[in-house]
Amino acid sequence: MTDSEPDVASELERLRRNIDDVDTVLVKLLNQRARWALEVGDVKSGAGVPIYQPAREAKVLAQVQAKNKGPLGERAVRRLFERIIDESRRLERIAAKEREG
Amino acid sequence: MIVVMKPNASESEVESVIERLFAAGCDVHRSTGSARVTLGAVGVTAAMDLSDYEILPGVEHVVRVSTPYELVSRSYKPESTEIDLGSVVIGGDDVVVIAGPGLVESEELIHGAARAVAAAGAHILRGSAFTSRARPYAFRGHGEGSLEWLRAAADEHHLLVASEVMAPAHVELVARHADILIVGARNMQNSVLLTELGTVGKPVLLKRSPAATIEDWLLSAEYVAAAGNERIILCEQGIRTFESSTRYTMDLSAIPVLRQLSHLPVVADPSFGTGVRDKVAPMARAAVAAGADGLLIEVHQNADEALSDAAQSLYPEAFQQLMDQLRIIVPAVGRSI
Repeated sequence: MTDSEPDVASELERLRRNIDDVDTVLVKLLNQRARWALEVGDVKSGAGVPIYQPAREAKVLAQVQAKNKGPLGERAVRRLFERIIDESRRLERIAAKEREG
Repeated sequence: MIVVMKPNASESEVESVIERLFAAGCDVHRSTGSARVTLGAVGVTAAMDLSDYEILPGVEHVVRVSTPYELVSRSYKPESTEIDLGSVVIGGDDVVVIAGPGLVESEELIHGAARAVAAAGAHILRGSAFTSRARPYAFRGHGEGSLEWLRAAADEHHLLVASEVMAPAHVELVARHADILIVGARNMQNSVLLTELGTVGKPVLLKRSPAATIEDWLLSAEYVAAAGNERIILCEQGIRTFESSTRYTMDLSAIPVLRQLSHLPVVADPSFGTGVRDKVAPMARAAVAAGADGLLIEVHQNADEALSDAAQSLYPEAFQQLMDQLRIIVPAVGRSI
């Protein structure tokens, strides 16, 4: 046991609280994004446009990679957004299915 | 299912795979790696044919995560299926022995066989009125009349009856006389027959074709289950290998493998599997030790003169000896007989 240990613990706790705060905001933002995606899905099905729009997905991925300033690498940002897009697509699919009955 | 794209797959090839999976009702998890794209499909149904995706441009290979069969799988029904036939339960604690001649050659023969196997402690009398033989000139059974002999002989000795069905047209007839309907190896993939057996109220004993993988075999069982009959007994009876000392090679490892993959009871037929009389008892003992729920043994009073598969039929004395040995082995693996 050393004297510095309690300091390490409290420092870790402080940093982790920061992460928790960011997560809270992230979940809110992800859901805000999801709500917009659902509206996009509404418009698509109203116009008979397919849910899966590969060109749009590619554009979203390119934009977020271009805006990225690190420390996450470009590929890391791409992988994270691929998952976000996967879930948006799923959400739109389920909503479309419910509309169909 | 996981679709692994080729390293040089174009973006439009990746997109068309996603499009297709999405249209099939799957959610797709795309993962772009440094060398290649991997697509994870969630919501794959049994109706989807994975080979449809394997041939798409840019696809390197497709990995199956779920099984292609469903109703017969252990994940569908975690508890083992017990088939209750009144006097015996197949798939329960007891090891059930089904014995008798390959074919019901005559009324006299089947009565003698019933007496002999009952005295030795068998539970079910086997004997077929119809069967498939390798040569068209070989004796293939007496048909309908012999089913009545079989039933009467079994009833007299308090045995149940197992008999082969060859064609959809026989199902109703054989079901009227037998307690268990046997599907022979040559018919294992006869989907018309399997579907017909789904509608009959009798358990089906599905023999493994010597060229069938365990997956092929379970898919055949799935046919019967999907058609409405989940009372299926799987019967291991050897697979074709390069070894020629025995007819087939008994795949005893199939017994524990099936135990894990499926909830259905598993029995073994070492008579058909080895094709050689003196190899029958050792493989019967091994099958029971490996966890088989039962055995099918060919027994014939004049084994050498049997009109079918003489070389694999046991004389009643040898069968009695085997039953005595099984009474020692069975308790050692936590079962009863």
